[in-house]
Amino acid sequence: MVGVIRRLHKLKSTLLDIKCGPGAAIFPSDVTRIHLEFAYGLAGHLGPRKFWRNNLPRLKFWNPAIPMVINRTKDVSGPAVLSVYFREPGSTLQELQTPSSSFHGFAKAPQPAEGERVLTIDMKNLESDKILEELLTKSGAVPVRPSPQEEADMAELRDLRQIGEVDRERVKRKTDAEKREKRLIAQAQSEAAAIRAAL
Amino acid sequence: MASTTQCLASLARLSLSTPARPTVCSTIPKFLVPSVATAQVRHASGGGGGGMRKKPVKKKKAYKAYRSYDLAPMEQFTLCDAMRYLRAAEVGHPPTTIKYDLAVKVRTHKSGPVLRSAIRLPFPVKTDTRIGVICPEGSALATEAQQLGAVAVGEESLFEAIRRGEIAFNKLICHTDSQEALKQAQVARILGPKGLMPNPKRGTITSDLKATMQDLIGADEYRERTGVVRMAVGQLGFTPRMLADNIKALMSKLMDNINQLDDNMPKAIDEVVLSTTHGPGISLNGEFAPTDDKIKPEHLATVM
Repeated sequence: MVGVIRRLHKLKSTLLDIKCGPGAAIFPSDVTRIHLEFAYGLAGHLGPRKFWRNNLPRLKFWNPAIPMVINRTKDVSGPAVLSVYFREPGSTLQELQTPSSSFHGFAKAPQPAEGERVLTIDMKNLESDKILEELLTKSGAVPVRPSPQEEADMAELRDLRQIGEVDRERVKRKTDAEKREKRLIAQAQSEAAAIRAAL
Repeated sequence: MASTTQCLASLARLSLSTPARPTVCSTIPKFLVPSVATAQVRHASGGGGGGMRKKPVKKKKAYKAYRSYDLAPMEQFTLCDAMRYLRAAEVGHPPTTIKYDLAVKVRTHKSGPVLRSAIRLPFPVKTDTRIGVICPEGSALATEAQQLGAVAVGEESLFEAIRRGEIAFNKLICHTDSQEALKQAQVARILGPKGLMPNPKRGTITSDLKATMQDLIGADEYRERTGVVRMAVGQLGFTPRMLADNIKALMSKLMDNINQLDDNMPKAIDEVVLSTTHGPGISLNGEFAPTDDKIKPEHLATVM
């Protein structure tokens, strides 16, 4: 296994990335589930994919109980829709039937249950940060600010990255010089061999 | 042998026009070079007599045990906290294709026995076991094996299929009645590298087909490689309780394995790391409950 310190630095930055950043927000308690549908491919579906990759993990981290289901289809001309399901005020919901995420188009957006309403956002041709902004404002989610401890950790990791870059540069200079020397020696040797062969 | 060397050496001496520095002549085979060079003209090296002496190469220290680290700086998490991060990292992926993986670092010597066995987890992770059975052709055993769900049954016909490369199974067991036939069939060279060769040590040569097959169907194999046991312990859709049960079962089985080993080769469990197919590896501290009091284990059991 890789050493503890190296693993720890990587882990810390990965976990902080899941915890803090655009998308770190808590939904109001009446949001019951979220469904995304978009296609493989780029035409109009790049933003939704980026939203899923970059922002959805943070939303999932802060709202672990809310099912967030993705349905990916193969049809680029099809829709790219984000549906947010809300509980109607004063209603109690039965057990919700939500399909599991599917990469083959099998997880169609479920019909809202009794006492549930749906808010849809058309994600097609929208950039990921626009999708996030629209979702947060329309659902009334509250963004989570990073704690002082987390900010300190982020600063520490940033410093570490900078130091790493300086070190990487230094090591690269060194290895480049070594490689150059090796190459020159090899060249000189091959030339010498050629001269000897010609004699 | 000595005479030819001498002869070649003298020949070489004749053909060499003394160069400024002793260079290796391309006409001489490499293995002759040292004797030629010593027989050749000597050159005084600069002053001091040090010359181009090679620095003695430091011998790398060979460690007998796999390296183990001080875990004090490692941040460790409870199972529910780890699952919260991992479920966030895997959001939107189909839950049956994503697996939770457990890596158990073992404090152990590099030589000696390794931890290796099979375990039937309380909640099986995969259900695509296909078993082949080697037993006398057309016997009662063969029909029994087929009824138990074996995909390939037989003796010589099965060996023929294996030699042709038609391997429809990913587990192979052999009845003790066919043990001799298996030895003479010379299929170990094909089956061995795939890890399919039946072997009494692994319990795959057996007289009780039923028990062995049942073990295999639910059983997942694990083995220690470079001091780490890695195994899939759950699907993304599992609840925290299911995952905890699976991890507990695996850990107690590993402890059993360790206790059965020789005292000369002590082993101890060092660290337990949980990860998913795309997620980070998170070190576990052995506790279950989430540290955030707003999060309950049920929250981590919702549809993915």
